[in-house]
Amino acid sequence: MNTKLKVSEISKIYPGCIANDKVSLEFESGKIYALLGENGAGKSTLVKILSGVVKPDEGKVFLNNKSIKLNSPLDAKKNNIGMVFQHFNLFETLSVFENLSIDSNKTNEDLRVLVNDILKKYNFKIDLDIPVLNLSAGQKQKVEIIRCLIRNPKVLIMDEPTSVLTEQETDDLFISLKQFSNEGILIIYITHKLKEVLSLCDEVAVMRKGKVVSVSNTIDEKIESLANKMVGESLNTIKKKINNFKDSEEILKISNLNFESDDPYETNLIDLNFSLKKGECLGIAGISGNGQSELFQILSGEIITEDTSIMFRNKEISKLNPRERRDYLMAFSPEDRISQAAVPELKIYENVALNNFKSSNFFEKGLVNEKKIKDHTQKILSNFSVNTDNVELKSQFLSGGNLQKLIIGRELITSPELLVCFNPTWGLDVGAINYIHENLININQQGKSSILISTDNDELLKLSDRVCVIYKGKLSKIMNAENVTPEKLGILMGGGSID
Amino acid sequence: MIFDLNFFGMLIGAIMASSVPLILAASGELITERSGVLNLGVEGMMIVGAISGFALMVLTDNLFLAVIGSMLSGLIISSIFGFLTQTLFTNHVASGLALTIFGIGISAMIGKNFVGIPGKDFPLLLVNLRESIPFLGPILFGHSIILYVAFALPFATNYFLKKTKLGLIVRAVGDSPVSASNQGINVALVRYSCILYGGAMCGLAGAYLSLIYTPQWIENMTAGRGWIALALVVFATWSPLKVLAGAIIFGGVTIMQLHLQAIGLRIPVQLLSALPYIMTIIVLVVISRDSRKIKLNTPTSLGQIFYKEK
Repeated sequence: MNTKLKVSEISKIYPGCIANDKVSLEFESGKIYALLGENGAGKSTLVKILSGVVKPDEGKVFLNNKSIKLNSPLDAKKNNIGMVFQHFNLFETLSVFENLSIDSNKTNEDLRVLVNDILKKYNFKIDLDIPVLNLSAGQKQKVEIIRCLIRNPKVLIMDEPTSVLTEQETDDLFISLKQFSNEGILIIYITHKLKEVLSLCDEVAVMRKGKVVSVSNTIDEKIESLANKMVGESLNTIKKKINNFKDSEEILKISNLNFESDDPYETNLIDLNFSLKKGECLGIAGISGNGQSELFQILSGEIITEDTSIMFRNKEISKLNPRERRDYLMAFSPEDRISQAAVPELKIYENVALNNFKSSNFFEKGLVNEKKIKDHTQKILSNFSVNTDNVELKSQFLSGGNLQKLIIGRELITSPELLVCFNPTWGLDVGAINYIHENLININQQGKSSILISTDNDELLKLSDRVCVIYKGKLSKIMNAENVTPEKLGILMGGGSID
Repeated sequence: MIFDLNFFGMLIGAIMASSVPLILAASGELITERSGVLNLGVEGMMIVGAISGFALMVLTDNLFLAVIGSMLSGLIISSIFGFLTQTLFTNHVASGLALTIFGIGISAMIGKNFVGIPGKDFPLLLVNLRESIPFLGPILFGHSIILYVAFALPFATNYFLKKTKLGLIVRAVGDSPVSASNQGINVALVRYSCILYGGAMCGLAGAYLSLIYTPQWIENMTAGRGWIALALVVFATWSPLKVLAGAIIFGGVTIMQLHLQAIGLRIPVQLLSALPYIMTIIVLVVISRDSRKIKLNTPTSLGQIFYKEK
């Protein structure tokens, strides 16, 4: 049966922000629809409204020409609207089967039969009786999809589904989605990745600042045209960098890095060895959860391991704490801006002071030199075009992009010899990404080195001189970035091997 | 020889009796914490249960009413905590501490008129069978119904959490209230229910103290047992059967050290009194070392306030 979904004049206003401004869209089964937009464009709010998590201030939703009420997630389920969230809505400590059974009215036996049928039909391979925390991101997503399929959905909404997947897993997902679409499920695909829109979807609606700015067939669109619609202005492309430091001296050498964790959420690292030259950027790819955060913490000194040797500028630093490593001109930009890099409740200048490089003399005789810190902060704000000049502003009021600019600026303004960054552009919009990329290219051109741990392959290939993949705590061989394609990385990220 | 065996039987019986309030309170708190709510008010809820049970016994002369009343009073006082943390979104730790202070205060106030009144004999089951089997007789028979309930409770709790749909929902809420809410589970309702259940069990634990274990009212008679129960839940890594083991060890070492004191061993009394605490922690830490299992049992959202998006 044909399914028609229509949202009409939906508005949702949060304090200080219009998340959805009279959004009207129509969808029909048999097609895959893309909902495209930057972070904060209002996509997530719209899908939260469709899944009953958030109530709109105004507007209506029609399913097959009937107005439906979506006051709770249960209402969405009753109307056969299924939703796969960007941040998985799974219970990590429960088994896969428990996760599936929690909102099913079937007996466990019937459900198991049904789930096994679904696994077979779509060629999913998942052990139903292990805790979800042992699954890979791709498998977790499949659990979410199965949870929707159990209820025979008419509409399936996917919110940024590929942000945690490998290329291979993404391909598999697209095959499944096309299969669902052929079976008559209406698919709405939310993303900010332009390539995916063109390769998967039939129609695309672009949102900007809470409004729908364009609806078109993807056949008529190109990456550039979509990007410009999404951002609302033309973007300058960054020039690919040229490395002038091919034969320069070695600045960092890691030998025998082993790490065994007692924590089942963490990954063990097995015999990592790599080195880095002056002015070079080493990219480390991989699906999140393969040991990246452990590696980052070992580099930054948050975790100290036995027997590991870290030679930095001809000095053994493996037993030094983060503060002492910073004194040797290392700098770090952790993955999680809010909880690891900055304290959101503190003011901007206070967050800058937290860094406390030896050279900056923020503290004298145990007292805080507030003026010095504020002047220093002002310099960061203007040099790194953070969109405020109020150093007294609490950091939580900065957008992700501005906060990341502040953090990178805080690290770079002291001219470190090595910057280690972990997913520096995660969740940022195109403009901010461009800006951060420019800065990262700049430091290499000034002869400073960087290690870029990232889950974004395009970013890695754009910025790195050499690149390798971390998989289950092991590093692949290190390759010259020019010789590597995203496909090659994808194979390595999934545990495969290439010649 | 038979006399010796019976003595040991009696000793074990005494140990069981002394562990009952801990098992009851800890099992209740375990359910509360499994739903992600950290209620530090156990001591307060226990003492309120103790005074309400005793007062109702004196006023109505009906032990059944007294027991039910003590559970109700535990439930009512825990509902204050529920309202604060689930409706007004106050901090769990501060609210729980306030509850304990409030409970101790109000029980002392009500209890003023009940000091010095003798308790009543609580009916014991199958007393005449105690002598029938050496050693096992005093262990198995001649206890109050509440003791049997207490010893069954950890097994029932384990079954509830692992095998039933409701138990699954409680664990899911404790794991991730956001996911649960997005799945259409009423997180506040689940958490309220778990808080109230925990309150009722703490009330019952208090009543066991004032009606059966030491049948009288003394101000502050819970004497820190609520805190021990709280610690048991954590050290037993939220596993009901380990709570049972911990409570028995604590009760056991408490009774043993009293005997050691009576013998007049040349060990400082302070050290002997500290023994139950030290032993319980050591044993529970040793039996709960599997970090994987700890992760799986620990309610990830423990103590976190959950707001529903509007």
